[in-house]
Amino acid sequence: MKIYFELNGRPQYVEVQPGESLLSLLRRLGTKSVREGCGMGECGCCVILLEGKPVRSCILFAPKVQGKKVTTVEGLGSLDNPHPLQRAFVEAGAVQCGFCTPGMILTAYALLAENPSPTPQEVRDYLLGNICRCTGYNKIVDAVLLAAAWKGEGRW
Amino acid sequence: MRLRGVQRYHWARDVDEALSLLSAYQGKGALLAGGVDLARSPRTDIEGLIDLTGLGLSYVREEEEGGLRVGATTTLAALLGRPETESYAGGVLREALQTVACPAIRHMATLGGAVVSAHPWADIPTLLVALDARGRWRGEREGKAELWDLYQKEFRRIFQAAVLLEIELPPWEGVGAFEKIGRNAGDIALLNACAGLRMSEGRIAEARVAVGARPQRGERLRWLEEALVGEKPNEKLWEKVKEEVRARIEVGEDRRASAEWRREAAGVLVARALVRAAGKAGA
Repeated sequence: MKIYFELNGRPQYVEVQPGESLLSLLRRLGTKSVREGCGMGECGCCVILLEGKPVRSCILFAPKVQGKKVTTVEGLGSLDNPHPLQRAFVEAGAVQCGFCTPGMILTAYALLAENPSPTPQEVRDYLLGNICRCTGYNKIVDAVLLAAAWKGEGRW
Repeated sequence: MRLRGVQRYHWARDVDEALSLLSAYQGKGALLAGGVDLARSPRTDIEGLIDLTGLGLSYVREEEEGGLRVGATTTLAALLGRPETESYAGGVLREALQTVACPAIRHMATLGGAVVSAHPWADIPTLLVALDARGRWRGEREGKAELWDLYQKEFRRIFQAAVLLEIELPPWEGVGAFEKIGRNAGDIALLNACAGLRMSEGRIAEARVAVGARPQRGERLRWLEEALVGEKPNEKLWEKVKEEVRARIEVGEDRRASAEWRREAAGVLVARALVRAAGKAGA
């Protein structure tokens, strides 16, 4: 079956299997920032934004994005021009192996869209479904708060 | 994605079409709302998925007399974001929804999906049973029942050939509180409890208590509700509640917790929920 959707602002008209996950489709399309961790909707590595809201692409049937907007980290920034959230993660030292980072950044992006000045606890509550086995989370929380501060200053 | 063998995907345009497709698959079709459970299902016999999200069943309506009607495909996040959710029964709805998984799951999972899946460990059935919620569905004919009653019957058989349309939360002048114990904040419950109180002249006029993940699905403790009526909330009462719940609650063990632990924790959890409900009621 064919579906139409928008990926990072670009129209896509692609063939999908009826039971295929969005994660599988996005990786087929070359969007390799979307990672398969657990494959069971538990770890948050595969989070993408669907119409601006975070969802887990490993347990989302690909046909469900028909006619909708999908955003991955590639849609936020690039190596040459990183998004302030990406810069904040680097500046705060919130990246180690980096496997969970795209899911963390997209979830944080959704948080800051809903709540531009969260408390540290609110950051932890929102990110509780994103598992990181390297950092111990403190620096990730710092990075989100740093990005929130920059947002408050009108830097993005 | 564990679900294998899917060959077709349908976007149902109305309930009739969804039912007709479901019937045509003769047990090998599945209704799909958020898909959180279905995607993780190990079933290999499902050949067709019937997506219900285009049926216009995503809504929250406040009734004039104070209750809420929630369309079955309303996501938990959408329900959580509504002001009506905040004000209903002292905010218990919001409290409970905030403990379910994490934002990325709440943006996918639907209230109707949680009602129909009705996992024994799930928080939503415990919450809705305590709130006297009703489900309205359509199969061969329309049906409507209180969820606590529906869960006693063959609700799984009913929903093999029916579409859940709406969950009704009747008006209630009481206030409630939800408590849960899990291994971490995003985990499923080892035990959950919802308690509600309606006060009159400093005494309990009506009590509601439901406990779930025992590991059985959430059920009301009617004997406790009856015993609480007429009582004045105080420390002595809560200690008695703890003792009585420990002595009388039916619990079991599974790989996640022992029956002994659940018995001990249930008393504490029910008392904790009642204390908070009483606090909200100003008692």
